[in-house]
Amino acid sequence: MSDTQIIVGLEIGTSKVCVAVGEVSDNQVVNIIGLGQSKSRGVRKGEIVDASLVEEDVRNAIVEAEHMADVEIRSVFLGVSGSHMRGFNNTGVHPVVSADREITDADIQDVIKNAKAINLPSDHSVVHVIRQHFRVDGQDGVLNPEGMLGAKIEVDVHVVSGRYNRLQNPIRLVSGLHLEVDNIAFNGLASSLALLSTEQKELGTLVIDLGAGTTEYAIYSAGVIKHTGVLAVGGDHVSNDLAYGLKVPLGRAEQLKIDHGSAIIDPEANNRSVDLSTDSVIPGKKINLGHLQMIMSMRLQETFELIAKDIEQAGLIDYLRAGVVLCGGGARTPYITRLARDVFNLPAAIGRSSTVSGIKNALDEPEFATPVGLIKFGAFQSQTTPRREGFGRVIRKQFASLFGGKK
Amino acid sequence: MTENQKTFSGGEPVIRLIGLGETGVKLVETLAMIGPEGVESHSLDTDNRSLSRCHQSKTLLLGQAIPCGLGTGGDVALARAAVESDRDRLAKLVEGANLVFVIAGMGGGTGTRAASLVACLAKESGALVVGVAATPFDCEGTRRCNQATGGLRDLKQASDVVFHFSNQDVVQMTGADTSLNNALEIANRHLCESVLGVSRMLLEPGLLNVSFGDLQSAVQGRQSLGSVIHVEGSGEDRAATAVEKMLAHPAARGGEALQEASAILVHLSGGEQLSLAEMNKVTEEIKQHASAVDLVVGASGPGRDEALQVTVVIAHQVKLTEVEPDLSASIESQSSEVANVSFTETFMPSGETSYVGLGEDSGGSRRGGFAYTPPAPTSEAITPELKDSLIEAAARQESDRKKRKKITQEMLPLEIVSKGRFEKSEPTIHKGEDLDQPTYIRRGMVLN
Ligand SMILES: Nc1nc2c(ncn2[C@@H]2O[C@H](COP(=O)(O)OP(=O)(O)OP(=O)(O)O)[C@@H](O)[C@H]2O)c(=O)[nH]1
Ligand SMILES: Nc1ncnc2c1ncn2[C@@H]1O[C@H](COP(=O)(O)OP(=O)(O)OP(=O)(O)O)[C@@H](O)[C@H]1O
Ligand SMILES: [Mg+2]
Ligand SMILES: [Mg+2]
Repeated sequence: MSDTQIIVGLEIGTSKVCVAVGEVSDNQVVNIIGLGQSKSRGVRKGEIVDASLVEEDVRNAIVEAEHMADVEIRSVFLGVSGSHMRGFNNTGVHPVVSADREITDADIQDVIKNAKAINLPSDHSVVHVIRQHFRVDGQDGVLNPEGMLGAKIEVDVHVVSGRYNRLQNPIRLVSGLHLEVDNIAFNGLASSLALLSTEQKELGTLVIDLGAGTTEYAIYSAGVIKHTGVLAVGGDHVSNDLAYGLKVPLGRAEQLKIDHGSAIIDPEANNRSVDLSTDSVIPGKKINLGHLQMIMSMRLQETFELIAKDIEQAGLIDYLRAGVVLCGGGARTPYITRLARDVFNLPAAIGRSSTVSGIKNALDEPEFATPVGLIKFGAFQSQTTPRREGFGRVIRKQFASLFGGKK
Repeated sequence: MTENQKTFSGGEPVIRLIGLGETGVKLVETLAMIGPEGVESHSLDTDNRSLSRCHQSKTLLLGQAIPCGLGTGGDVALARAAVESDRDRLAKLVEGANLVFVIAGMGGGTGTRAASLVACLAKESGALVVGVAATPFDCEGTRRCNQATGGLRDLKQASDVVFHFSNQDVVQMTGADTSLNNALEIANRHLCESVLGVSRMLLEPGLLNVSFGDLQSAVQGRQSLGSVIHVEGSGEDRAATAVEKMLAHPAARGGEALQEASAILVHLSGGEQLSLAEMNKVTEEIKQHASAVDLVVGASGPGRDEALQVTVVIAHQVKLTEVEPDLSASIESQSSEVANVSFTETFMPSGETSYVGLGEDSGGSRRGGFAYTPPAPTSEAITPELKDSLIEAAARQESDRKKRKKITQEMLPLEIVSKGRFEKSEPTIHKGEDLDQPTYIRRGMVLN
């Protein structure tokens, strides 16, 4: 009965390399049994810049996770991100040819194939094609058209793509460590899978992963993914701005951000200062708290505004009835939800990996949304592994269940 | 890829920073924070307090038996005992490195004593050894200054090259009004810049590489003193600006330092538009001052710097006439002897000692006795007010002595601190706007 399976998620993040080990039972319940982490030294803006350092960091994180979960890790679901990644929607069209006009499984496969024929730049390749809705003779919002009658069937899909070479970099690195890559997934998608409940997906939610090097976002509405995006801006930029503006070294700025940071400006702060006299590097230096908060809030506000603008252009701002959910290390910034509420004019909250169980640590910390989400992604995918092919319609299952559609 | 290789055979050299004593620890912590990447950092002290402030580097407490974490308070004998007792651990620490930076403030106990020993051990293990040393303000007292002079001499003997910066120089450069904090910050920047300059040269992927071998042949076995100049030119004729700044840099001593150089390594980094004409301009200017010298030129192309960054490493070989008899001893025998050298009585009182100039080596050349050794001031014992007044006094004295030669201080560009994080990655351009630039600056906010 309890035929469990081990699924591992690996995020090679800008600040940390993180491995999460999940035990997935036959009925798709995910239990986190292990977590491994190491400081990431060879990644900038979500992409590898120093392979040998990253190899070492990945190895360390894997070993730690193996110890904790007491398993041997042979394959991983790998998270990918970076400024080269794009999210957009596409539509496939297919005429129903059978004499009785009843839509068959073959029609569905064909229309999906059509939707996948995307005009990508030659150096790009597809990471995800996620089915949203079908239309039958213009009738919107059909979840499963099989058996319906119609002359024309259309399907909307959400596509995530990226530069081939830049996607290959982490894959090659992980393969070089004798780890198999089961599949790759866009980090922003993974995080949203970890955090959102079915209700939130239905009502419409914006998930923002505030990482160190990148900020990913994803929108769900009517149960399906509508939009994704990534900005190569993150907590490193906040720290860098602080280092520049406050004239302190980057490491010091990072510490100041964590100790005294705020996403909004406290009007009282201008009169207060942080004394660095105990700091051995810059003896006696005083930091104006008002400056610190101003520099920080401007960066964070800008980041949110860029996302807001993008969502408005996509015409989705009115579909977010469940508001904004934040994750990633940046979600720890005090008053970040307040800033999000002000910019998006929507309720905002920090996300929790509520739909999984296991190590409390992994579920409470906003940084772990991506690796935990990768396990969920893997769990959905493994539903379609050959041994379960008997249930038929491999591809359909994958698309329908993976990203919200139906359970 | 390359793990702990003994002899260097291409690839990235294994570089280790070792900070000794409070000053060394401070500097290594700073360096570990602001880069260079791919460099191992270690902080060593006899004082637990100074190690407890370390977050970026690996720490090692010296002399666990004595003085058991309490520091030496400037006591060289105590420091010697502590350092010697940890000889094996120190030897292990330097093992497998190609290039070791030994970083310390001279004048106290720990840094003064440990630096030369670590340098010797590193040398024995086959590494190229670069010393980085600060020496005290004159006003810190005769004993400190003498201890410093001796420590610097020992370090120089054990190292391939020593970048030395005297805190007193800052007083000379900036005048009497400088606060102690400011003076130390400036000194520390100069010291850090020498480490950053050298490692940037070696590690930055380049069009024309300055290799580890280039550095090796420039300084190896020469027991030279060195200095590093780092300047940045921008605007219309950025090469001209850079050259101008280079010659105005205190370490260039109006070009004198270039003339006296035994080897010069130049590294340019100027983004995509770095031109041959610019390289020529910089190297020609250097050649004008130093025609006969070994000149190694490197350049790194990419990066997104609008500015032209020029790093010049100058090595001055110690003139033989200045060398003390015992300097001729081989490094091997030095390494075992150095701990036994008692230098406390062998040096001139500080008033007459002039080790101030970068590249000048006079500390050990004149002998003279002195009798009274006041207790060394520890940094805790001096109140800030007292320190400031001491500095003022020293500055007044200085300006009398060196009125003619007031050099304006060139602040090292802060960019080394703030741009570092994104240097290796593609710039984030969003609708024509460079999002790597601080938002508050792009939006015209002024901090006041
Ligand atoms: N450039 C620079 N010099 C410093 C700094 N702090 C102290 N010094 C100088 O370095 C000398 C040595 O001091 P420390 O590094 O504190 O001594 P230590 O090696 O820890 O030795 P003990 O504490 O006596 O065991 C002092 O006399 C000062 O002149 C600093 O931050 N920067
Ligand atoms: N208390 C805090 N306040 C503000 N920022 C914080 C806090 N704690 C962590 N951060 C920031 O969160 C970032 C790390 O987040 P996270 O671990 O999600 O990034 P990552 O996954 O390594 O990076 P990326 O996904 O961008 O590649 C760092 O920039 C860190 O400074
Ligand atoms: Mg992340
Ligand atoms: Mg000390």
